[in-house]
Amino acid sequence: MTRRSIILAGVLAALACFAVGQAARADALDDIRQAKTIRIATDLGLPPYSMTDANMQPTGSDIETARLLARDFGVQLALVPTIAASRIPMLLTGKADLVIATLSITPDRAKVIDFSVPYATLRTVIAGIRGIKVETIADLTGKTVGVTRGTPNDLYLSETAKGVNVLRYEDDATTAEAFASGQVDLIATAELLLPPIAQKNTSRQIEIKYIIEAYKLAIGVKKGEPRLLQAVDSWVRTNLKNGKLNDIYKRFHGTDLPEVILKEGR
Amino acid sequence: MSYQLDFSFLSKSWPAFVAGTWLTIQLTSVAIALGFALGTLCALTRVYAHPLLRRLVAGYVEVIRNTPLLMQIFIVYFGIASLGLKLSADVSAVIALVVNMGAYTTEIMRAGIEAIPKTQVESADVLGLSRLQVIAHVMLLPAIERVYPALTGQFVLLMLASSVTSQISAEELTATAERVQSQTYRSFEVYVVVALVYLLLSLFFRVGFWAIGTVLFVRRRRLGTTR
Repeated sequence: MTRRSIILAGVLAALACFAVGQAARADALDDIRQAKTIRIATDLGLPPYSMTDANMQPTGSDIETARLLARDFGVQLALVPTIAASRIPMLLTGKADLVIATLSITPDRAKVIDFSVPYATLRTVIAGIRGIKVETIADLTGKTVGVTRGTPNDLYLSETAKGVNVLRYEDDATTAEAFASGQVDLIATAELLLPPIAQKNTSRQIEIKYIIEAYKLAIGVKKGEPRLLQAVDSWVRTNLKNGKLNDIYKRFHGTDLPEVILKEGR
Repeated sequence: MSYQLDFSFLSKSWPAFVAGTWLTIQLTSVAIALGFALGTLCALTRVYAHPLLRRLVAGYVEVIRNTPLLMQIFIVYFGIASLGLKLSADVSAVIALVVNMGAYTTEIMRAGIEAIPKTQVESADVLGLSRLQVIAHVMLLPAIERVYPALTGQFVLLMLASSVTSQISAEELTATAERVQSQTYRSFEVYVVVALVYLLLSLFFRVGFWAIGTVLFVRRRRLGTTR
């Protein structure tokens, strides 16, 4: 085989894969039922929403939500591990059917993916060491704040707040480490991350300065899949109504779901 | 395959890419210059100094070459801050890259120095050249000439490796890519653009090193063996 014919064969093979990919593409809901497996992207580094237990098994409120959904759909659950920044690319590139990974509803995201009705909430806060006076967004001017890249907090600091020196870290663990090591005295983060941070840093006590926003968390669905979206929507409503989603939330977070979420089920 | 390529984000975010590229160039240039100086010094130490110093340098080289760059960056950025000295991300990145570059350069330069025939150095001594002249003209320059391809290859690798400094919030090219990607969700397109920029940077650095080599190595130029 000459080199040219090898290249030609490669190109033909690639084209063939393309063609097969085109032919196999049907409705996402049918694909899931046919494969008897639903692939759900999740970020395992966000306790108590998702984490691994002592036996390295995935657990958390998002994981249990995913399990319940797969059970009710009557299919196998395949968890696709991901990180915060690649949750949406996972959907866009077809590596996952759904995203259940503390995904909050934002206008920018809604341009590229569809959201189900919300199933839980997540509050984001500005937190920092005692002694710094920050009560409103205006107080942040001229201060340095650490944040996890690609989160709504990043966008909030970059676009809403003025004159803030934003330091962006790759994931929540690195942001927490930046606070612990003293690289930053203020962080913009999810409220749920504060107890573990406080536990590990007794010398640098962290406190909430103010609440940025209470986000509604929803299940992410690829655009152009109305049947799948409808199925997920009605599943969320049913399970808010019958209290199963509230049970999951209460088990991991210690409190009931707030009224704004519960009313979606009525 | 229903993925539609869309590069329209570039019209809005190109200044961010330019700024990121500029920081990558700065980080890399400083790290190469200081790392090369550190490595050359260590190489001379490793070949000529007191055995104890030699072992010290050997230990440094082994530790750095056998641990991931990312860990070294984390240790500089978080470790030193925990001890009370707060270095900015950019400074931490440069320190970690210099230390890393220094270790690799040490080994490459040591090979170059050891390849200089003893007789060449002895001839220079006999001709009455001073110690400094011998080191500069008879040992170092010919040594650099011998290992120049390996050296410049390592420099380009360092430029590519500088991408991991995005982890500690240095806003270089990769960090810019991650940020733009997280705002536009055009991840594939963003990575294509950034890969292209890195490719161009590599070519730019290679051409630069070739030019420096041509100016620096008179003998090679006269013999017409520049590459």
